[in-house]
Amino acid sequence: MTLVHVVTSRNRTQYKEQMSQYFRIRHEIFVEERGWEQLRRADGVERDQYDNAQAIYLLALDNGRVVGGQRLYPTLLPHMMSDVFANLATRGVPRSESIFECTRYFVVKERRTGRTDCRLLAAMQEYCLSAGITDITAVVEMWWMPRWHQIGFKVRPLGLPAVIENEPCMAAQIAISRESLEQVRRVGGLRGPSLLQEKRHPANERMPHVAA
Amino acid sequence: MGGESFSYANEAFAFVERLDHLTSPSAILDAMEVSLSRFGFQNFIVAGLPGPRERVDQVVLLKKWPPGWFDLYISEDFVRDDPIIRRCRNSVQPFAWIEAPFDREKEPRCLEVMNRASDFGMTHGFCLPIHGINGYEACISMSGTDLDLTAKTKPALHLMSVYAFERIRAQMSPERQSAGKPLTAREREMLAWAAAGKSAADTGDILGITERTVTAHIVSACHKLEATNKTQAVARALQYRLLNI
Repeated sequence: MTLVHVVTSRNRTQYKEQMSQYFRIRHEIFVEERGWEQLRRADGVERDQYDNAQAIYLLALDNGRVVGGQRLYPTLLPHMMSDVFANLATRGVPRSESIFECTRYFVVKERRTGRTDCRLLAAMQEYCLSAGITDITAVVEMWWMPRWHQIGFKVRPLGLPAVIENEPCMAAQIAISRESLEQVRRVGGLRGPSLLQEKRHPANERMPHVAA
Repeated sequence: MGGESFSYANEAFAFVERLDHLTSPSAILDAMEVSLSRFGFQNFIVAGLPGPRERVDQVVLLKKWPPGWFDLYISEDFVRDDPIIRRCRNSVQPFAWIEAPFDREKEPRCLEVMNRASDFGMTHGFCLPIHGINGYEACISMSGTDLDLTAKTKPALHLMSVYAFERIRAQMSPERQSAGKPLTAREREMLAWAAAGKSAADTGDILGITERTVTAHIVSACHKLEATNKTQAVARALQYRLLNI
């Protein structure tokens, strides 16, 4: 069963193996498959300046194997849209403590016909709802737009489409909402939550009894 | 950015925001007519791509086409040979009609479609293919006699098309019958196992669910694909590229 795990600077040590898998898959997908040559690295590991302690990773894991992922980053800090793609957001780069940017979204090849996309996107809505994030910004290939629309995402264009790496892309802002979450679950045939519910630490659970 | 292209952008953003407040197909049609005419487009159609046994009129969501042309298009079954439709099935990028390739020598029917369209003043056009989740395929196609179709206007038209399509789909899709509904991920999974030669019982064992559940998913898939049995459902799903094995 595939579930989406939230990996942050706090729990990253528990995901050592998955994170190294994750950075290798990013190289396979964004460099080898999609041909973003300026990201190519000899060690086959794709990382950039936004892979730091502020990044929040949503990783779709199936038996410990990474099958999809996306990275959320605070827009109050210099981020990809403000640093690299500001020219795409002609209507302004949205920046707020409740707005995060989503980058490096992917699903591994063999899972692209299944519902992993819906699960990852449902997990994005679930996480943002629980964390008080109201909007997500992203630079996205235009062919994604009908898919986002179909799964009920409310998307505001931040500029006109422009060609990046041979693909028309657009800067966009997605409003987080419970209705969107319900629609993506419906389309994907997802019953329960897609995000791994945080387990309470066993020690914390036992503590009161010990104290009592 | 030049002043001219800036106004195209504003037109597109204003159109997108206007759409949000429109709740009837006729209001959407009117808004499209007004905005698209600024780029020289008089005719447009928004339709799903028909399956082998579907007729175009069953999948049209909204259209403003010369009346004689729609009748001719249906009676001649032009959809089977329309180079625009063919390109839609194989591309996710918007294109100008002249970019839809066909062999003028070997494909006389394709030439016939484009020539007859020209008779109705539909010589040049712009089309956006839509490829959704669960194999959903559609397009929005527009034409006119004196188009403002340049590198500057195309991005604005691209954006307007995406949002016009979405508004129309959202307005008109909920009423659609179960036939033509997209397959669920689970239904596709069952068909994939069937395509791999597994019986319902085998599939149940593999996935840890009952044979009855597997059969229920297959029956539902058969209904949606208008297939009389599992074999035909698998064949159709492959044909529509809902499965890749």
